[in-house]
Amino acid sequence: MPTVEVSHIHKSFGPTQAVDDVSFRVERGEIFGLLGPNGAGKTTTIRIILDIFKPDSGQVSVLGGSLDETKKNRIGYLPEERGLYKDQKLETVLLYLGTLKGMEMSAANERLGEWLHRFDLYQHRHKKVQELSRGMQQKAQIIATLLHEPDLIIVDEPFLGLDPVNTRLIKEVIEEQRYAGRTIIMSTHQMYQVEALCNRIVLVNHGRTVLYGEVEQIKRDFAGNAVVIEGQGDFSDLPGVLQTRRENSDWHLALQPGNNPQDVFRALATREGIKIERFEIAEPSLDDIFISVVKGDDEVEGVDNG
Amino acid sequence: MGKILLVIRYEIQTTIRKRSFWIMTFLFPVLIIALSLGSQLLAEKSFADEEEVGLLRSKEAGITGLVDEAGLILHLPPDVPAKLLQTFPNQASAQVALEANELDRYYLIPEDFHQTGEVILVVSDYSPLINLSSNTIFEYIIDANLIGDDALARLMIDPTPNEVLYPQAVDIQAEDDIGVTSFLVPYTTMMLFFMLISMTGNMMLTSVTKEKENRTMEVLLLSLRPRELMAGKLLGLGIVALLQMSIWLGGGLLAQGSGGQVLKSSLAALTPSFILWALAYLTLGYLMYASILGALGALAPTAREGAQFSFLVMLPIIIPLALNTVFVESPHGGLATFLSLFPLSAPTSMVTRLASGAVPAWQPIVGLIGLAGTTSLFISLAARFFRADTLLSSAGLTRQRLLEALRGKLN
Repeated sequence: MPTVEVSHIHKSFGPTQAVDDVSFRVERGEIFGLLGPNGAGKTTTIRIILDIFKPDSGQVSVLGGSLDETKKNRIGYLPEERGLYKDQKLETVLLYLGTLKGMEMSAANERLGEWLHRFDLYQHRHKKVQELSRGMQQKAQIIATLLHEPDLIIVDEPFLGLDPVNTRLIKEVIEEQRYAGRTIIMSTHQMYQVEALCNRIVLVNHGRTVLYGEVEQIKRDFAGNAVVIEGQGDFSDLPGVLQTRRENSDWHLALQPGNNPQDVFRALATREGIKIERFEIAEPSLDDIFISVVKGDDEVEGVDNG
Repeated sequence: MGKILLVIRYEIQTTIRKRSFWIMTFLFPVLIIALSLGSQLLAEKSFADEEEVGLLRSKEAGITGLVDEAGLILHLPPDVPAKLLQTFPNQASAQVALEANELDRYYLIPEDFHQTGEVILVVSDYSPLINLSSNTIFEYIIDANLIGDDALARLMIDPTPNEVLYPQAVDIQAEDDIGVTSFLVPYTTMMLFFMLISMTGNMMLTSVTKEKENRTMEVLLLSLRPRELMAGKLLGLGIVALLQMSIWLGGGLLAQGSGGQVLKSSLAALTPSFILWALAYLTLGYLMYASILGALGALAPTAREGAQFSFLVMLPIIIPLALNTVFVESPHGGLATFLSLFPLSAPTSMVTRLASGAVPAWQPIVGLIGLAGTTSLFISLAARFFRADTLLSSAGLTRQRLLEALRGKLN
C-alpha cells in the first residue's frame, strides 16, 4: 500500500488553474522527488496532500486513507516559507510544535535535547529565534519537522540557506530517515540532490504531471537527448538544442525532444571554425532533463519564461 | 480538546512572560488613578481659584456705579468693600461717569423694582463672556437689603458653602471628597475595562497576524484545525484578561483596608455583586471584541494592516470613554442607559454604571442577554474567517475581501 496516493487532483483559485490532473504514488520507505519550476503547482499539491486545501476534484490517500487528525500527527512538514515564532525562545517554540504533534512534554524534552546537540544548537536553546543565524533557524525548522518521529516527511527546499557542512548533515539525516523506514517527499530545485537522494520523481509544470517515474529509468529514457562535445570553437546556438552549458573543457548540450544526436552532428559538420575532439552521447543529468522537459512543455504551451 | 489546551497554555505562557505585560498590569492602574485624581484636584482647585478671583476681580475691577431710584440700598454688608459702589443721583450722571471711563459699569435699580424685580446693568464694553461674578456680589447686596440679614443673604447665594460627606456604605470619617469620588469611580472603571478589553482584544489580533507574518501558520495548520487555533487563542488570552482583572481587583480590595479616604470611598463600589457582574461583562465583552479582532487578523496580511482597522472595530467602546462625563454627571440618564444596554458598548458602559451606583435590576440582566447573543453571533462570524485559505493568504485587507469572507466566498 503506498504511503501517499494522489489521483487526478484539480485545484483552481479563481481563474487560475493551480493543479490540473496531477497523479502519483509515493511508496513506503522511499525518497520521492516532487519537482517543478516556480509556480508549477508543487506547493498547492503538497497542501492538498496535507488537507490544508481541499481539491476541486480527485482523490488523495495518505497513510492508508483519508487524512484525519491522528494521521496528521504522523506527518512532518517543512514548508517552503519557513516559520517559527521569532520573538520566542528556541526551546519553547520547538516544544510547543512537538507537543502539538501529540508528543508528551517529557519525551519531547528528551528528544529535543538530542536533536539540539546533534545540530549544534543546544547552547542556543534559550535564545530567541530571531537572534539565531539563518542557517540555525533552518536547522531548527528541520528539528520541528522531525522531532515527533513522523512516518511521512514532506520537505520543501530542505537545503535552502545551508552551508556545505550543514547541507551534508541534512542529507545524512534525510537518508537516515529513509533507512528507518520513513517515507520522504522532497521538493527542491537542486537537481544534483534529487539525483543523489531520490528513488523516484514526479515533475509538474503548469499544474500538470509532465514526467513521472524512477530516476534511473528516466535518465535512461532521456539518454540521447544530451550530448557532450570536447573541442575548440563555439558550440552554442545549434539547431535542435535547448540549452548549452560549458563545464571545464566540455560542452554539454541538452536536446529538444524529437531531436537526436545525429541531427546535432550534422549541424556541427556544416559549422565553420570548430574542431571536434570528442562527440559523446551522454546520459543526461536530471538538470538537463528538467530543462528539456520544462522548456519543451512551455514551447507547446506558448509560455515565455524569459 | 487536548490541542486547544496546548494553544491556551502557549498563549498564556508567552504573554505573561513578556515584561510589557507586567509593566502594563502594575503601572496602568496607578497611572489612571493618578491622572483622574490629578485632573480632578486641578479642576477643583481651579474652581476654587475662580471663586476667589471673582471676588478679587470685583474688588480690583474698579468702581461700580449705582443709581438707586427705588431707594433700596440702605447699607452694605461688612464683607463688601465700601469703595466698591459709588452712588449717583440719577442715570444721566452715572452715564457721564461711564463714558468718561470713571466706571466699568453701573446698576440702575428702577423705581418699580419692588413690583418687577428688574435691575438694569449698563456696561462700557459688552462681551458675551462678561464676568458675572460681580453680579453675584450685587445680588448679595440687594438680598442683604431686602431681607435685612447679611448672613442669610450670603446663604441664599451659596446654600452649601461647607458640604460634608457622611458615607453610609463604609464606616469612615467624613471628608470633603464627594467630587473626587464621584468622578474617580466611573472614570477609572470605564478606563480600566476599556483597556482590559482593547489590550487583550488587540493581543488576539497581533497573535494571529504574527503567525501569518512569521509563516508559522502553515505548520500549525498541519497540527490543528483553524477553529481549534481560534478557540485556543480566544480562551488563552481570555484567561490572561481575567488574570489582569484579578490582579487589579485584588489590589483594589487590599487597598480598601489600607488606602486613604478617597481610595476607600472609591473602592466601596467593589461589592461581591459588582465583581460578579463585572466578570460576566468583561468575559463576554472580551470574547466579542477578541473574536472580531481575531477575524480581522485572519484576513489581514500583516499586524500593521490589521491595526489600521482595529480602531474602527473598537469605536463602540471608545465612544463611551469619550463621553465619560455623561457617566459622571448622569449615570442613569438616557444616554448612559442606552450605551449600557447596546451590546457593543455594554461591556464598559454597564460596568461603569454599576460602579456609579444603583442600576435597576432588569438592566444588567437585559444588557447581559443582549451581549451574550451578540458575542455568540460574532464568534460564529469570526469562525468563518478562520480558514486555511484566509490564514495562508497574503492578499491585502480590503472592504471587498471582508465582505466576501463574511459571505464565505473567499478564495
